[in-house]
Amino acid sequence: MTERKESTKRAASTPTEAPTVPIHVRVATEADIPPLVPLLVRLKRLNEEFDPLLKVRSDVEAQAREILRHDLANPRAIVLAAEGVGPDKDRVIGVVRAQVRDRVFYTPELEGVILDIYLLPLYRRRGVGEYLLQEATARLKEKGAGLVTAEFPTQNEIAARFYAKRGFRPITALHARALERA
Amino acid sequence: MVEATSSRSKRGAPAEGAPEEERADEARSARAVRLARFYQGKVETVPKVPVRSLADFALWYTPGIAAVSRAIESDPEEAFDLTGRGNTIAIVTDGSRVLGLGNIGPRAALPVMEGKALLFKFLGGVDAVPLPIDVASPEALVETVLRIAPAFGGINLEDIASPKCFFVLEELQKRCPIPVWHDDQLGTAAATVAGLLNALALTHRSMREVRTVLLGAGAANLVTARLLVTLGHDPHQLTLVDHKGVLTGEREDLDELMLHNPWKYRLALQTDGGGRSGTLADALAGADVLLAASTPGPHTVRPEWVRSMARDPVVFALANPVPEIWPSAALEAGAAIVATGRSDFPNQVNNSLIFPAVFRGVLDARARSIPDEIVLAAARELAARAEDRGLSAQHLLPTMEESAVFPHIAAAVGTEAVRLGIARRRRTREEFLAMARTTMARAARLAETFARGGLIAPMPDEPAPKET
Repeated sequence: MTERKESTKRAASTPTEAPTVPIHVRVATEADIPPLVPLLVRLKRLNEEFDPLLKVRSDVEAQAREILRHDLANPRAIVLAAEGVGPDKDRVIGVVRAQVRDRVFYTPELEGVILDIYLLPLYRRRGVGEYLLQEATARLKEKGAGLVTAEFPTQNEIAARFYAKRGFRPITALHARALERA
Repeated sequence: MVEATSSRSKRGAPAEGAPEEERADEARSARAVRLARFYQGKVETVPKVPVRSLADFALWYTPGIAAVSRAIESDPEEAFDLTGRGNTIAIVTDGSRVLGLGNIGPRAALPVMEGKALLFKFLGGVDAVPLPIDVASPEALVETVLRIAPAFGGINLEDIASPKCFFVLEELQKRCPIPVWHDDQLGTAAATVAGLLNALALTHRSMREVRTVLLGAGAANLVTARLLVTLGHDPHQLTLVDHKGVLTGEREDLDELMLHNPWKYRLALQTDGGGRSGTLADALAGADVLLAASTPGPHTVRPEWVRSMARDPVVFALANPVPEIWPSAALEAGAAIVATGRSDFPNQVNNSLIFPAVFRGVLDARARSIPDEIVLAAARELAARAEDRGLSAQHLLPTMEESAVFPHIAAAVGTEAVRLGIARRRRTREEFLAMARTTMARAARLAETFARGGLIAPMPDEPAPKET
């Protein structure tokens, strides 16, 4: 029932927009780092909800800034910034981090990994996530990736469903156990 | 909220300040415990068929009864006609949020469920079985209810914590073959909507043009918001406010809500703060309506915030036992209409006006479910019935004393069930009205007869009524 209402609202809230995706995606630059940091932090805090072993560090913001700066200098990394349209033009509302990695033992030899995808809640469920994934995948392919993978917390069923619907399946599992400090 | 059984005198002027109220509450609490000990329960099982001699048991029990069982085996629907199932509901709780007492567990919840069963019988002629259940998870609660459903014609969920109450109701409405109702969501929301419909009529406003602030994002207000949107309220003119402030689509805790309270999450996206952000004070400036179902006051809502609202503001302060703002303070600050959850002030928004009649209606129609259309039909009828005694700012809704209202709401519910095609028994509105009146009158006569015959003892702390 709420689902139905959701879709009516969507239609009502964007009456002037074309049925296309209401965002604009571009490669991030140094100037995007300040608005990208809170998005990345929100994603890490969301991950924290799924597992205590994903507890966010207290210096998470500084770390996010650092990793983004690092990515922008790395030719094998991709950082995309999504902007709104209309009144939200020039406002960064989503982020993708991805990178190309070597596969030493397997073929295809290059793997494109989606590390982080985050969209502000108000922009979800309008095909925007799908669009971000396509944009990222196309760029990973340009960099030579022969397959695309995605990393997310095992307990994140929403992400699992999102990727499964788009043909992804689990190939490697990462199992963890906390260690007591000596 | 289950206060209908108390017979406190109506107070004309709203009480200012609390001490006198508190003393009265304390005395009443002590008396409730004394009386509970004296009566040891509020409902009991009573035979419904003549037993002239033990030979009659050959009809009511084995061997005769086997034929009745066989009839139901070959047509399960017959259970509603051949047994009491068609008039019996379960009052189910896990005791996780009982009144204002919090998570006191199923054992301590029993007296409240018994009280509710009494209200069901007394006001709606419905046989209700108090059924607190000892479960650890919402999934187990759902499974348990599904397993007991064969004995009942309906399920009334009660005092289950939010947000798990949304999950439990949604699952059961999907999977249970009989009507399932959660009073803290649907009953309170229906009464609130009824009051609001009349408040808007009195202040010459339309649902489509008002700006409304909902304070509190618990069971009742999340459903109220959903119903208001169904009635044409612009979601972008709806501002939900919780203890963290205005609920926008941008708030930091939205991802957490997405995982743990998707109902609230969806409303956050749908309303996006109604174009506001910040605090309750920010939300109220210029608003037409405040529907507060949050934490007890009396200073949760400040008079200066009411003063900052639009002309002739409508203020519902529904927290119990102390409203978010005293009615006198709200009126002094310019409120045109004030309602509370209490019977000792004018305009009580009370789910007791809704649930007995809704179940009377769905049971009489043998409805398969209770969709929002039924909830709204009950709310509309309750609102319309206020006019029987003259709709005014002091008489916004019928009171508990106006018991003639109940059969009308039941008939509206039954008629709506037929219209929706979910009624197993199709009757006209007049027929539903007559059925409801008969059943309710019988329940009243039953109680009266028992009392007069001495089977229900008079209250031990009151002088016996004089014979006339």
